[in-house]
Amino acid sequence: MNENRLVRCFTESLGVSENIVNDQLAYRAIPEWDSVGHMAMITALENEFDVMLDTDDIIAMSDFGKAKSILTKYGVTFDAS
Amino acid sequence: MLLKDRRALITGASRGIGKAVAEVFAEQGASLVIAGRDDGIQQLAATLSKDRQPVFAVQGDLTDESHVHELVATCRREFGGLDILVNNAGVLTQALIGMMSLDPVRHMFEVNLLAVINLTQYAVRLMAKSSSPSIINLASIAGTQGIEGVSAYSASKAGVVGFTHSAAKELATRNIRVNAIAPGFIDTDMTRSLPDDWYQRRVEGVRMGKQAGSPRDVANCALFLASNLSTYVTGQVIGVDGGLAV
Repeated sequence: MNENRLVRCFTESLGVSENIVNDQLAYRAIPEWDSVGHMAMITALENEFDVMLDTDDIIAMSDFGKAKSILTKYGVTFDAS
Repeated sequence: MLLKDRRALITGASRGIGKAVAEVFAEQGASLVIAGRDDGIQQLAATLSKDRQPVFAVQGDLTDESHVHELVATCRREFGGLDILVNNAGVLTQALIGMMSLDPVRHMFEVNLLAVINLTQYAVRLMAKSSSPSIINLASIAGTQGIEGVSAYSASKAGVVGFTHSAAKELATRNIRVNAIAPGFIDTDMTRSLPDDWYQRRVEGVRMGKQAGSPRDVANCALFLASNLSTYVTGQVIGVDGGLAV
């Protein structure tokens, strides 16, 4: 459930299709995920999961898989894949 | 009203310029989160919200990260976002070069500059859905012109000017305007704490009436920068100084 919400945050904030969002999707690997896209995606995550991310975690969120592990620190749970 | 339905966060709002900004913004229809270190911040919120839009007070120190989190969380919880950030909180330590202890200088940089950068980083995320977001940083004529006896304070405010210019360029792609106000000699508790002869020399340099400005003079400039009267204005440092810098 939460993974679907996370994918939706990525697709809507970056303007990309769902089929390219996987654990390996990395910051700057696609033109849409640049620094501006990153901040839009962070805003989407904070709104969707009602969390306030620390700056260090924003910097560390360098791929989709890391986004999941960082959100886990804020109490968001994901099914084991 | 120029700020109807707008949501603003104002730091250093307990007194002086910050308090005047809060008063003017409330008069112009804004909902507010006001931050300050003093007990008076709660009373100010109660006064400003009477028969008007909500005003929420958060008491604390901007160098404390948990206070910053509480401010941002309050904006998110009560408003669901943010339209205007006024980075006003500041401290001034006066000392001549050669006689400055570094601890108060570090503290001054933490409050005057690092807190501005930190809070701005959080605020821009809250502004993502705002139709006309605006950030207003309180610099100083000391940061644009330099003033003897307050060199470290001047350096911290020059940092605010540099941050304002860079942030304006960087955030323009997100439609966020970033401007600064450089007050000259304004009649506040901060300036009244300065030595009498120093105060007098500054006042004599003011071309408009040889007198200090009022916090309200600065607040009116902040109102312009916060409102849609200035939608094509960004990256500017506006002096409110009665001609002191001319």
